[in-house]
Amino acid sequence: MSLLKLLLLVLFTLTPTLALAYDVLLLQSMHDKGYDEAVRGFKRDCRGSVRRIVLADYAELDLTRITREEHPKLIVAVGDRALELAQKQHATPVLYMMALNAKPRGAVGGVSMLLDPGRYLSVFGEMGAERVGVLYDPARSGGYVKRAVAAAARCGVKLVLREVHAPKETPAMLASLKGKVNALWMLPDTTAVSPGSTEAYFLFSQAERVPVVTFADVYLSMGGAVALTIDRYDIGRQVAELAQRVLDGNPPEEGGEPPRRAITRSNDSVVRQLKLNGAVGH
Amino acid sequence: MRRRKLRLPPYAKSFRFRLYLIFTVTIALLTAAFVTFYVLTELNAFRSNMEREGKLLATVLAQNARLPLFAENREALDILADGTARYPSVLSVSIVDREGRLLAQQVKSQTVPGDVIDMRVPVSSPSGVLSPESALLGQPQGNEQRVIGEVRLKLDTSAARERLVALVAASLAIGILFWILVSLLCYQILKRVTNSFNLLLGGIEKIGNGTLSARVGLDGDDELGRAANAINAMAASLELRELENQALQDELLRAMRLEVQEEKKQVMARLIQTNKMTSLGLLLSSMAHEINNPNASIRFSGHMIGKMLADALPLLDGVWQEEGEFYLGGVPYQKARLVLTENAGKIVENSERIAQVVQGLRDYGVGGGGQLRQRLEINGAVSAALSVLACQMKRDVQLHTSLGTSIPAVAGSQQQIEQVLINLILNAMQSCAGRSGEVHLSTRHDVAKGEVVVEVRDNGVGITPETKERLFEPFFSTKLELGGSGLGLYISQFIVSEHGGRLQLDSTLGKGTVATVVLPVAPASVVGMLPAQLGQHAADPLHEVG
Repeated sequence: MSLLKLLLLVLFTLTPTLALAYDVLLLQSMHDKGYDEAVRGFKRDCRGSVRRIVLADYAELDLTRITREEHPKLIVAVGDRALELAQKQHATPVLYMMALNAKPRGAVGGVSMLLDPGRYLSVFGEMGAERVGVLYDPARSGGYVKRAVAAAARCGVKLVLREVHAPKETPAMLASLKGKVNALWMLPDTTAVSPGSTEAYFLFSQAERVPVVTFADVYLSMGGAVALTIDRYDIGRQVAELAQRVLDGNPPEEGGEPPRRAITRSNDSVVRQLKLNGAVGH
Repeated sequence: MRRRKLRLPPYAKSFRFRLYLIFTVTIALLTAAFVTFYVLTELNAFRSNMEREGKLLATVLAQNARLPLFAENREALDILADGTARYPSVLSVSIVDREGRLLAQQVKSQTVPGDVIDMRVPVSSPSGVLSPESALLGQPQGNEQRVIGEVRLKLDTSAARERLVALVAASLAIGILFWILVSLLCYQILKRVTNSFNLLLGGIEKIGNGTLSARVGLDGDDELGRAANAINAMAASLELRELENQALQDELLRAMRLEVQEEKKQVMARLIQTNKMTSLGLLLSSMAHEINNPNASIRFSGHMIGKMLADALPLLDGVWQEEGEFYLGGVPYQKARLVLTENAGKIVENSERIAQVVQGLRDYGVGGGGQLRQRLEINGAVSAALSVLACQMKRDVQLHTSLGTSIPAVAGSQQQIEQVLINLILNAMQSCAGRSGEVHLSTRHDVAKGEVVVEVRDNGVGITPETKERLFEPFFSTKLELGGSGLGLYISQFIVSEHGGRLQLDSTLGKGTVATVVLPVAPASVVGMLPAQLGQHAADPLHEVG
């Protein structure tokens, strides 16, 4: 009888511990349709157990205590805020996704939101655009632009760069590109592209009759010609593969890799008016 | 303070003028109201248009200035402001950023007119534009607009004032013209309409003044036409009535003349009758005087004869006893003795009777002795009346008397009651004229009511209802031509009522009449104090006429 009591005590004591044991702690910045889409892709391909925490649900989250007590094997940060929090602890490897302004430090890997520059350059190549205007904030997109310049040199496309350090500089910088470019490349740079200045790109496009290649579908309705859009669901799956490698005992690859899949859409009306190559966007 | 009454000229009292005044004032008020409404509406519309135009200008400027404002490009903003300020109604253009700092300004005129429209339109970032991060996350486009500055326009409303002046002037001119035209039209219409009224009024006035032959010369089937027809019909009817009235009046005058003549004749006949009666009274007085003298002598002689006979009879009786039978005037003494005794008494008695009759005739004619407060035995009055009428008795009329016994006395004048009874008995006998008839005269005492009743009943022709109504009228008589005065029943009723009694006449036409005299019984306490009537005598059965 005393043995039975002991067994029951052990069972009740250990059951919560067993319930809290998981492989991946999924830290999500907030409830957002895009984040949820990526999380669904992640969960689809992730074979390990996952605990999901949405930071917006907590006033303050003690991640260090959680990792110390729950010992997750991997933290997957979804969004900039989650990545920032995850990087404050060093005990658990971190992967990130859906973080536009990600600045990974140390052993932090993941998938960025910036498509490989080569994909854009191939579109410009299809358009026949030789000079492509690019506005960027060196502090935010300097590295990406550097890679783009290198890739452009290989493709025979000349990138006409304009640095902007504040959103209000964008219209003037765009104005400085008048007659100097055949196309505009709109980068997901929050300095170069702000709600106040976005209109300037399409006014410039309309005035100079140059196409704007952008990074999201929503800009097509404002006058963008082609949009190369990330696939958030596939990003989740891509991160799930990375996570599986980490769970298998491999350290995460430092830095972010670009999304492996891009969705290309175009505004047929703009394409027709600007008499662009018909193959663009198809 | 005395208020002075406003005196209107005669034409102002006419229906036409008042209607015209009402119409023109109403039209003027309506025109003024319409003009005011139109001007106000137009002015509001113009001001509203100006505001819309200014708002549109400001909105366009805000749209165009969005990017330059975002980029704080003052040169571009100046160009935009300058372009907007070229519009005529724009006084000044200002573009400020979100903090209110002035980035561009164009002022066309420093002098600020009184009424200026100040238009302010915020400059907002375009709605639905997402940040790159939101766009990558696939967030839906929102409708939020972020205000990044403001465009301020001042619009001149002097054009509105000029337009208002022009509008008021034009509206007033058109309104006055309209008012004049409509007033003229109204005048013509009213003139046409009120002509009918004037015709109607003229006709009514003529008819009202008595010219019933006048007619309203108004044709038409409208209300006025129908009214004119009705008035004409009324005038014709009045005219006919007038003629009928005139004819009736003439006929009435003629009838009145005839009636007056007839009345005059009757009055004259009554006067003549009265005069006759007066003369008869005088004659009766004279006759009474002439008869009384020899009658007094006869009565004296009778008394003397009676006394002498009373003294002579014992002597004659002694002679008869001694001498035996002897003759006086060819008649045996014993029989002569009875005749002498009887005739001597009769001489006195009849002489007294003659004196009473004469006294009665004298009293009747002269009217003396009419004192009411005397003790009156009704049976005595009946006998006296029958005595007077003894000579009037007709052979074909039988008079039956039935006098009650133990009839108490009444207070009154026997002579007047006799006169009443004589009238009633004469009337009863006259109602039997020309045929045999009966007159019943009865007296009785109604103990229950305390009344003495004298009833004169005849079986004569009776009284017609028409006559019965006028029986007690003075000078009314159905026998004026037979010597009637028309005063008998009138006086009789007067006398009876003076005695506190009543005279009733009940008649059935063809069957007869009952005349009833009812007199109150005098109280026992009074009867003893009343004086006895002069010449009064008890009821005499000899008066029954056979």
